[in-house]
Amino acid sequence: MASRTVLTLGARPLGLSHNLCGNLTTLTGLEWSSVCVQQVRYRRFPKFVVRPTTRRPWHVRKWTEKKDEFLDKSNEQFVREVIADKYAKTSSSPLKDGPWERNPYLRGTRRSGVLALKLGTLIHWKKDGTPFTVTVLQVLDNHVINYVPPEVYATYPSHCPHQGLRFGLQVVGSLSCDPRQFSKPYNNLFVKAGVPPKRWLTRFLVTPDAAIQPGTALNVNHFKVGDYVDTQGRTRDYGFQGVIKRWGMKGMPKSHGTTKSERKMGATGGGGDKDGIWKGKRMPGMMGNYLRTMYGLQICRINTRYNLLYVAGVGVPGLPHTFIRVSDTVLPRKQRTEDQMSSVAMPTWFEEDEEDPLPEEMFVDDVFQFTEPSLELEAEES
Amino acid sequence: MAASIAQICVKNIRSFPLRQIDLVYQQTSCVCAFFSTSSPLSQPKKLKHVINYQRTHAEVARALRKKQNFLHHEMVDKHRASPLQSGTEQVSEKTGEAAPRDYRFVMPEFLPNPDFRYRDKILEKMERQDMLRRRAVIDIPEFYVGSIMAVTVSDPHSPGKTNRFVGICIDRGGRGLQAYFVLRNVVDGLGVEVMYEMYNPTVHSIQVLKLEKRLDEQLYYLRNAPLEHSTFSFDMQPVTLPRDAPVPVNTTKVKLNPKPWEYRWERFNLKGIEPLELTPKMEKGIKAHAKPWEDYDLMLKYRQKVNEDEEKSIMTEVFQENTRIEGERKSSRAVLRRKK
Amino acid sequence: MALSMSSLSSQVAPIALRVATTCCCFSTSKTHYEIRNLARMRIVDNSAIGKAAAEIGKPPRVIHVYNKKNIGHLGDKVLVTVKGEMRRAYIVGLKQKQKANVPRMDTNNIVLVDDNGNPLGNRIHVPIPSCLRGKGGDLTKILSLATKFV
Repeated sequence: MASRTVLTLGARPLGLSHNLCGNLTTLTGLEWSSVCVQQVRYRRFPKFVVRPTTRRPWHVRKWTEKKDEFLDKSNEQFVREVIADKYAKTSSSPLKDGPWERNPYLRGTRRSGVLALKLGTLIHWKKDGTPFTVTVLQVLDNHVINYVPPEVYATYPSHCPHQGLRFGLQVVGSLSCDPRQFSKPYNNLFVKAGVPPKRWLTRFLVTPDAAIQPGTALNVNHFKVGDYVDTQGRTRDYGFQGVIKRWGMKGMPKSHGTTKSERKMGATGGGGDKDGIWKGKRMPGMMGNYLRTMYGLQICRINTRYNLLYVAGVGVPGLPHTFIRVSDTVLPRKQRTEDQMSSVAMPTWFEEDEEDPLPEEMFVDDVFQFTEPSLELEAEES
Repeated sequence: MAASIAQICVKNIRSFPLRQIDLVYQQTSCVCAFFSTSSPLSQPKKLKHVINYQRTHAEVARALRKKQNFLHHEMVDKHRASPLQSGTEQVSEKTGEAAPRDYRFVMPEFLPNPDFRYRDKILEKMERQDMLRRRAVIDIPEFYVGSIMAVTVSDPHSPGKTNRFVGICIDRGGRGLQAYFVLRNVVDGLGVEVMYEMYNPTVHSIQVLKLEKRLDEQLYYLRNAPLEHSTFSFDMQPVTLPRDAPVPVNTTKVKLNPKPWEYRWERFNLKGIEPLELTPKMEKGIKAHAKPWEDYDLMLKYRQKVNEDEEKSIMTEVFQENTRIEGERKSSRAVLRRKK
Repeated sequence: MALSMSSLSSQVAPIALRVATTCCCFSTSKTHYEIRNLARMRIVDNSAIGKAAAEIGKPPRVIHVYNKKNIGHLGDKVLVTVKGEMRRAYIVGLKQKQKANVPRMDTNNIVLVDDNGNPLGNRIHVPIPSCLRGKGGDLTKILSLATKFV
């Protein structure tokens, strides 16, 4: 068994040092305060690795296990009322300082997106009778939490250097929660915006001219009917799966003497100079829960009462009630035309923009509306 | 000195998980010397983020557990009804006159998917709203499998721009906007079946020529029956039932053609066919494929059905809206008559 | 076995004959009724060769479908063997499940055409799906023979 000696500075907690000071006697010349000797059994890969992607040191802890002291029913009710009162005032007018300057929409502008809940799919028809599937997304309780200007964002570890100072960060959250279930540092993120803490947070890269003031509410009117959007979310989590489900491999014959290998993969590779298992070999493992984006889906219908986006097409990732990031598309062919650019809600839609209240339902021109009786007859005559 | 530190050490160790204690006992002799000069024993300093540190069992289990990337639908409804929520209206439940008891057989397509993963209150509400809007435009009457119906659809290629088909309804299914039914008839000695979507905008009118039920839920066995059972005239006149009469059940028994059949009909427990002459092989097949335990599987029934309270509220809403639509239709007809 | 049965062709019932004269007694595409190679069809026009094939009870078989997928759908052109000859034909009715408003027939129907696309018969005695009228091409010559559309 190979072994190696590790010199560690400072102290190590007890639980970690299995063979702590195993060969103390050999290291008499070193200072105790500065050096610790630890012998570790040789193993090339640690069994579980915390990769930077799973937990970043700058992320705050979200959930807390801490419970309040015992509250009886009336007290509990009172606490709830206090929380609701506290945020009810801010929700009517969350903006503490004056509104930020509003800029026109230009060709290079990138606006913030919204966080939506996927509700499911429906079937719709075009005016000529062709059916197509729509995915329904609900923009529920969205607020802008923070804006980080490009100069500050450039110092962040997640900043891509090639982007330079083009983008700032816009943090958006959805689904207000009871603040008691979150930790204090997490609740502190929302103090500046003056909104209740959110269940879900995300960040969008925005150009500085499209920055939105923290505390602003977002809803479906951020988009217009006919816009093209990108939807990003996590796919359905299948857990640990075998090769047949995960990669669509053939398996082995079900009979003719096959035992215990009906659903196994065959050989893993060739021999000679191509031997060994190459990196990326398809094998069993965790399947699903990947971040996936569907680009360039058209918004064919909007419901302003329940804040619903009807997006044409299937393939928005995840089961129903998955969180989906919806933002303006990045596809160059599906950008807005010059006349559409003047009517874009910049940086987002405000209620005072509209003189008349918006209609409850808005459709794209070629989608069949169930309220219109004469439509099929017209189509039939033509 | 060393002994005292060891005692302290053991005291603090009690809060550790059991598996670590024996390990610590082994090491106490040398560890105490190590700890004596380092940071305070009572609270070993928490590690900052390091790339490769050993996780506790709980942490590993949490990481390996399925990550929930979606919310349960009840949690979503809770958020929608929360006092902290703003900007989105809530779905209101209708109260008032309840629907008749067997209304779900009249409008089966309004019942949502019983699988809880695909349930959503607002989505179902919007779908129902669209269906009722469509029902206000065209009259979709009450019909059952076994009824004889006539359907007119728009057809861009035909000279009259419409296409009419008459036949017996042999199947009905789908839920929501995807609801469909299948008509069967014999035209020029050839059996023809057409599937129609009930809410498809190309459908102009749906007419029930003869309202009746059959003994089975699907009549696909008519494909293997003599053609006279599925032959209906295109000029058939509608048969009107007396008002408030129950829907009659047609109890005719069909004699199937000899094999080959499309399916093994003897395994379907059909009531609308004459008793078959079973060969020993057929009996063996029936026995092998029978699932008698499903009659007693309460869990299966529970999973395949929508909750009764929810069903009641949905049907109430549909019933009230439908009666309103029909009332409007009647009054508009009366206005037309008066004008004439 | 097959040979002896075919010699008795004049005496036995058509179904038994079909079983005997074809190589295997089960359909190779039962579940989906896909029109692929060796699928059995029914000629629905009154061409002489089609009638003769129906008389001896030997259904025509598809030996090629003129599209990239090699699976025939409504309005596709196929190559069939009829009485040992190769003929071209159009599919005008299918047994498999169809889309909404498109009829599904109880048999797989074809209409024979010659190499120039002109139909061999001069009458079609079954209904034709109305959706074929939008397809154009050689089908218009066939549709002009049709008596009824569904």
